[in-house]
Amino acid sequence: MSTVGKRTSRRWSKMLPLLILTALAILLTGCAAQPTSWAGMRVVEGVIYAADIQQVVAMQVQDDDSYPREIWAFPPDPKEERLGLFYVTPAVSDEYVIVASQVPASGFFSQPVNVVWALDRETGQEVWRFNGARAQYVEGGAIAGDLFVIGNSDGNVYALDLETGREVWRHKTAHRVWATPLIHDDVVYIGSMDRHLYALNLADGAVLWDFPADGAFAGTPAWEEGHLYIGAFDNRLYAIDAQTGTEEWRFEGSNWFWGGPVVHDGVVYAVDVDGNAYAVDAQEGVKIWKRSLDTTVRAGLALYVDEDSSQIFVGGQNGTLYALDAAEGFVMWSTSREGQILSPPVVAEDVVYTTVSFDAERIRAALTANGRTIWVYPLPEQE
Amino acid sequence: MFDFLAYPMANLLLLLYTLLGQSTVGAIAVLTLLINLLLLPLTLSQQKSVRRMQEIQPELEKLQKKYAKDREKLAQEQMKLYREAGINPLGGCLPVMIQLPIWFGLINAIRYCIPSTPLDVFRFSHHIYQWIPGVTGLVPLQSVFLGMDLGQPPNPAQWWSYLLPILVFITSWLQQKLLTPPTTGDDQSQAAAMNKQMQIMMPVMFMFFTLQYSTGLSIYFIISSLIRIIQYYLVPGARMGAAQAAGRS
Repeated sequence: MSTVGKRTSRRWSKMLPLLILTALAILLTGCAAQPTSWAGMRVVEGVIYAADIQQVVAMQVQDDDSYPREIWAFPPDPKEERLGLFYVTPAVSDEYVIVASQVPASGFFSQPVNVVWALDRETGQEVWRFNGARAQYVEGGAIAGDLFVIGNSDGNVYALDLETGREVWRHKTAHRVWATPLIHDDVVYIGSMDRHLYALNLADGAVLWDFPADGAFAGTPAWEEGHLYIGAFDNRLYAIDAQTGTEEWRFEGSNWFWGGPVVHDGVVYAVDVDGNAYAVDAQEGVKIWKRSLDTTVRAGLALYVDEDSSQIFVGGQNGTLYALDAAEGFVMWSTSREGQILSPPVVAEDVVYTTVSFDAERIRAALTANGRTIWVYPLPEQE
Repeated sequence: MFDFLAYPMANLLLLLYTLLGQSTVGAIAVLTLLINLLLLPLTLSQQKSVRRMQEIQPELEKLQKKYAKDREKLAQEQMKLYREAGINPLGGCLPVMIQLPIWFGLINAIRYCIPSTPLDVFRFSHHIYQWIPGVTGLVPLQSVFLGMDLGQPPNPAQWWSYLLPILVFITSWLQQKLLTPPTTGDDQSQAAAMNKQMQIMMPVMFMFFTLQYSTGLSIYFIISSLIRIIQYYLVPGARMGAAQAAGRS
């Protein structure tokens, strides 16, 4: 080898570790597109609208409980069109299905893009998109009047025009907003990780009142007869006057309340992250029953009321779906499968649906009566 | 992977946050300081080992030339030299290997307390020591510092957040420069070349990571490097070694 060749070779051999480490850094950051949150679903008029991380699907429920008919998927092929990871529970209006996704960074210095998508409810075609928020959407938004309202991890609550996606107003909070708002009587009730529950005027986002707690609010409040019920990361479940924002009572749980509670017929049902389900008297804040489930629970619960009895459904991180008797709290049945249930179950007719994380099965349907699985999506051969 | 270390550290971070008037940066700084104090014996031992290796470098090179064609004999003579100099050949990297899990634990602890993703928060929710007064409900910690969100990576909307990775590079480079014993001008050995490369590579690596991860991590890297630099000036052993090596050159 010539002297020049030797010098060049030595120079390259010196540079090689640097190049390898740089390549490794780029590779590591390129692998960052892992799910960091959970999926969500809604069933409206016999159609399932699910954001199952990979895509948004609309599926027609069949009367005979057979496998649902897929109406559309957005994007049709997620491997072809990289529109990001769809986490949030879709909001559904007469015309639109509104979801959000996080498009991972495409290059080393690029940033993930966070997009709200309005899709045509019939066809799944994009109507508009909004990418004005800086950070991840964790939970879905709510629709009321001409507005779609959603919280973002950049600390803002955004109100978008339902027809165009134009930003109408935003309200800045002091921390991330990971909760789905409740909109009732033109008031937006939304919790923030800054430990405040806000009541905002739907028209202009003006603060009507804010309620401070000792922990973050990440769930959606439940409303009944002028009272709001919501849990926080300070292990407490609160009852708040919806008009004034004053506290009516507080109930101590064992750990954080993350998912939103459900209220029905004077009873508030809630579950904490340690897997303790509670029924609490809505007037007094007194415990009616408590049931400890042997799993951790991220999401809220679902209530199913029929003529004979009422059931509470809780999805566990261990992949188990529990059905509890709403009156007394005993476990009526439970069914275990792979994956983690991190979103609240959804009940329609006599079927309970769950979205699943970290498993090939993304949606499961089971009978409310006995928990028997009637189908899973996608079918095993479709994977 | 290092959650068995991350959870206690995260709880300690929560306690410090409470004690320091809910200052996130203050809590990270004090925790980093405590961890560095805990690791001080290991750090000093590592520096000592590197220094001794540097001292016997000329003799090692002589051996390499002398036994260039007999690898077995070379290995024997090298081991003999290490024994005579009282050096454990693994002495330089063993402390690093022990420190690595602690660093990763600390990084995870910061990630749990100033989370950018909800799954991190949920994971940590079952590992908060609720018996520590005042920690219930603290997560997520207040994450805004100088207008930057400590739970998010640097981004164009907060352009000044890119200053943090640059500061990470500068402080890390300075730390590497101070703590790596200088080599002689004509020292062309592989070890010397590696040392020079490491002085650049490590800061570059840290800067790349902090560009991609939350800015809270940058705070940790900067404070950690500053502590090492201060330690260099305050702990006699560290400076002496570097001075000796400089004297030789």
